[in-house]
Parts: sequence; C-alpha cells; structure tokens
Amino acid sequence: MTYDTLLDSSGVVSGESDLWCTYAAVRTLSWLGRIDDLPSPDGVVGFLSSRQNSDGGFAWSAGMSSDAWATYYCTQTLADLSADTHGAVGRSSSAWVWSAAHADGGFAMTPGQTSDVWATYYAVRTLVEIYEERPPGTLFDWLAALQAEDGGLAWSPAHAKNGTSDVRACYYALTAWSTATGGEGPLPWDRQRLTDWLKDRQSTDGGFTFQAGDETDCLWATFRACNALDRLGEAPRDPDGCVAWIRARLDAEGAFTRWPGYPVPDVWAAFCAVGALRALGAGLDDLADGLVRTLLSFRTAQGGFTYRAPEFASDVLTTSAQVMAGRFPDSAAREAVRWMESCMLPNEDGIMYMPGRGSEVRCTLWALSAGAFEEDADARGRITRWLGDAIQNPDGGFGYWEGRASDMVSTCAAAEMMHRTGGSSAAAPLRGVAAFVATCETAPGQYANVPGGRPTLRATLQARRALQRAGTVDGAPVVDALARHRVRGGGFANEGNRVPDLLSTYEAVLAADAFGLAWDTGHLAKFLDSVRTVDDGFAWTPLMATSGGPLADCLGRRLELRLTSDQHTLPPLALS
Amino acid sequence: MHTADRSEISARVLTVLEKRFGDAAHALAPDVDLSDTLPGFDSLAALEYVTAVEGEFGIEVDFVGDDVRYWFSTLDRTALYVHERVEDQAA
Repeated sequence: MTYDTLLDSSGVVSGESDLWCTYAAVRTLSWLGRIDDLPSPDGVVGFLSSRQNSDGGFAWSAGMSSDAWATYYCTQTLADLSADTHGAVGRSSSAWVWSAAHADGGFAMTPGQTSDVWATYYAVRTLVEIYEERPPGTLFDWLAALQAEDGGLAWSPAHAKNGTSDVRACYYALTAWSTATGGEGPLPWDRQRLTDWLKDRQSTDGGFTFQAGDETDCLWATFRACNALDRLGEAPRDPDGCVAWIRARLDAEGAFTRWPGYPVPDVWAAFCAVGALRALGAGLDDLADGLVRTLLSFRTAQGGFTYRAPEFASDVLTTSAQVMAGRFPDSAAREAVRWMESCMLPNEDGIMYMPGRGSEVRCTLWALSAGAFEEDADARGRITRWLGDAIQNPDGGFGYWEGRASDMVSTCAAAEMMHRTGGSSAAAPLRGVAAFVATCETAPGQYANVPGGRPTLRATLQARRALQRAGTVDGAPVVDALARHRVRGGGFANEGNRVPDLLSTYEAVLAADAFGLAWDTGHLAKFLDSVRTVDDGFAWTPLMATSGGPLADCLGRRLELRLTSDQHTLPPLALS
Repeated sequence: MHTADRSEISARVLTVLEKRFGDAAHALAPDVDLSDTLPGFDSLAALEYVTAVEGEFGIEVDFVGDDVRYWFSTLDRTALYVHERVEDQAA
C-alpha cells in the first residue's frame, strides 16, 4: 500500500488548532531549547486557555467535558511557555484531577470511568510536575498489577490478565512510577522480564513496534520504548541501529516521517524523533534548524498547531461530515472518501482522526458512514477484527482508542460498525457490548456514558442502539427516554427537558427510526428553525447565532433531508 | 408585586455577567454583542448566562420559541426581555 493520496490531501481542512499537536510542537521546541523561536506564544496560551472548563479541568475541544489527557497537555504546555498554569481558576485543575481518582490507586480519564494507564500517567504527571502534589500510596499497587504473563505491561490490571502488553502502556506506567518516586525506591514489576519484553520489540532494522506481532516499525513506538528503557536505566539492544533508523526517517527538508515508506512529515514524528534521540543521548544540534522551521509551519490562525502545513491538514471527522452533508460534487466526494481510506495505517486497522495518529473508534464509524471501504470487504473485515480482537476492553466495552477505558459513545459506535461489517464473527464481541452497557444502567432504562456517570438522553439512546445491535430489541426504554427529554417547543434535551440541542435531537430521531417509533415532524422542523444560522449552517443549540462547524452542519443537514419527502435515512453516528 | 425597572434589571444582569466573566464584563457597553466582547462566551457560557438570568429573576425562558440568541446577545436586549417577562408574570 502507498500513501500518495495523503501527500496533497483531498480531505477537508477544518483550519483549527489541535490540542495534542500543540502540546507536541511546544514540547519539541522546548526540548530543542528553541521555545523562544515561537513568534506568538500568547496565541498558543490563548488557544489552550480556551479549553479550560469551569470545573478546572481542560477539554479536547470547547464544550466537551474535562478529561485527564487534555488537562495534562494543556497545563504542561502552559508550563513550557512559562504561562500561569493555575489560570483564573486557581488550583482547581488539581482538584479536578483528584475527582477522577479511584480507591484502587488508578485514575480515570473522566470521573466515574474505569482506571486505565493512559489516564493514570496524565494524572500523576499533572499532580506531581505541575502542582507539586503527591499521588496516592495505592498507586504502586495499581501499577504493579499491570504486568502481564509475557513480562510487558498492559493498559489496566484486567488487560494484564488477558496478556495484552504494549510499549505505550510500559512507557506510561514506568513514567508514572518514576514521576511519583523520582526514580528511587522499589520497582513494582519484575525488572528483568519487563526489560527483556521491551528490548524484544526492537526489530533488526533498528526501530520498535508497539506489540508482539506488529509488522511495521514506528517512530512513536520507538520513542516510547527508548524512554521506557531509559526509565529502567537501560538502552535498546542495538542503540546505534536505533539512532540510524530514526535518522533514516528524515526527509530532504530536514523533517521526520513516522514509518518507512510514509511520505508526510508531521508534528508527532518530530516530537517522537527528538524525544527518542534525547533518551538515547544522541546529538540533535544538526537537526534543530530544520525541525524548528518545519514545526513553525504547522501553526494555524487559531493560535495553536495542527499536524502538518495547515492547508493540507485534513481530518476524518470534518471530511466525512462534509461528504454526508452532500457538500461535494460526486467526483470530489469520491476523492475525499479515498483520502479517508488512506488514513488506515500499519499495525492498527481502524481509521485515524488525522493520518499518523492512532486509530479511533468514532472516526472509523463516521468514515464508514460516509462511504469508506464500501466496496472493500477485506478492509471491512480488518476493521471488524481490529474491533473484536484488538481493542475491545475486558469489560466488553470500547474506549476512544486502544487501551482507553470503555465509554458509551465508543461502545455504541463499535456496535454499529460490527453490525454493519461483522456478520457472524461479530456475535461474541456484541455479547461483550451488552455486558458493558449493563454496567452503565443507573436506573431501569436509564444509562450514563460511563459506569459512574449521570444518566443522559444520549447515553440512554446509544445504550439501547448498542443493545439492539447485540440482539436485544426493546423499544420501551427509548419511548420513555424520548418522552422524558422532549422539549415542548421543539427538539430534545440531553439532560432534563428545557434546553434542546442538535446532537441530542439527532440521536432522538435516529433512535426513534431505529426502533420504528412515530415522531412529530413539525416538532423537529421548529427545532431546526431555531438552530439554522445566517451563514447557511446549523448551531449546536438555539443559543448560538453562527454555525457550530462542519459536524453541526452535517447533523442539521441530515435532519433536514430526513424531513423531505424522500425521508433520507440518518447515518447511525455517535459523537459525544 | 414589585416589578423592577429597566435600569435596575440592567444592573442585576450585569452583576450576573460579572460573576461569570469577571473584569471583562465590568465595563460592558449595553449594546455590544456578548459573544464578540466576552472571551469564552461560547454556547456553554451562553447557556450558563441564560440559566443564571432565569435564577436571578425567577423566570423561565422558552429556548425554542423565544429567539434566545437575539434576546441574550446584548445586555440591553436581555434587560428588555427580562422586563417584559417580569411584567407578564406580574400581570
């Protein structure tokens, strides 16, 4: 497979800055000692600050709930820029992090969710490095339970019992331990077996993979492996070969790419290469100018960074939204779909939000719904196996990406995909889905997004859709939920029945159709009138005067099409 | 029942905004667009604003029927909306 389609992207560019890209760019500049090259640090600070919620945590995008991932990336980047990490809300980011702690010593990505090593790593780094607080003593018991039979570390204690070790999990766990202890004190794992497992991930070419059985060496895996070994006071078996492999990822312009044969330099490749070379004690001086020049070319007008030159920085959610909204002529839509299909890269058989990033469950559903792999049974089969064999959690649910604890949005998205692509091979994974959904039931027929969360309309409808895909067809809880959250004037509310929003209304109509329930077209039309905007788009709520962006425009347009005489079917999407 | 006059309502609406947006709302002109003027006045902040106004004046806003994005876009418009709703309730 080649990735030429990615060179001159035919996907759609949102133009927005991305949180992870911004963190990676600023961290890399900081590691290179070139933070002063950033022309407008205030713009970056402004972008990051706009992601803070009133609960003190930070969110991936405005309007979303706080999570440990965004909170660490934002506070760490603000610290790199010497900005005030306590912001206008004082120390409440640390209070928010503690709200996601579990008694077993692990941390969840959001309060109420199950602990995982991604979240625990972010939480510990935020508490110790940003707020100079101490993590709980039980942390080490939780970390100790991550070692799997093969010697590597897994995403959670439950994953370790199933034997799924991953280089990223090793890095996150080792870094959480070394951050909490300063690298002193007893290691909570069998050192030799862990070291051997990590070293075994290096190929004869010099690079590393994430897991046993992966075929393509990757700069991200190499970065995490080198740093994990460094935390153990170890080095790869072939350090010179590793340095040579990393340097072979440089292109003619002095920028890094992630895989052999992958043509696009991006921000994560720069971040991973510099991070790995630092861990290996290799020189960076001859690379710095080219890397700084490349990184600075990834800035957007919004103040932060995206993953590549902004004019080419397409993403799958925006692209699939535009395709489903019918914004393209047929030929351009085909090109856009082809671009999304090329966002499936080695080792992970889902579709990425941005090429070069990890595969994500929701993005894969949006791309499939927009027509990706419609005539490629092999690719659809790979997606089904990726879902059922690689990323389904031990509790039966799915998280946003591999190793993330389960949530209802991702679980519903996975169930929809397995129903669409899986055939009989999806039966067992769908039974697991039903088991996870049951853990989110807060009262008969009412569900939350995560096991310890509050019930909402969207989580309830997603739960019932997932159960329907798993073979349990019971429309009564859907009828009750729709009645409970119907807003008198038009539309549906996620909580209560007063403030309707576009996403909840889309979910409501989608679920009603899925269960064959009658609904009031006039009620929907009144709601759409209240969110239609002068810029020919749709707002997320009646409160906003301008379009909520391509995703809101897509949902609004699809609801309009549902109201036409052709009654176009709504794609079975899940977003939040 | 006592019905507040427009200037008193405006002052109380401004206090609501100051609680949420601090100094940025302090010298707010009555006719400027809140989403253009107040940093972070996104859909979530707008919802918090409407909810806080409801609580302050004991009124209930119809989010679909009342064109909330118009009435809650400036201080002046909010005060006028509240005044009419309070008068309606008193009638």
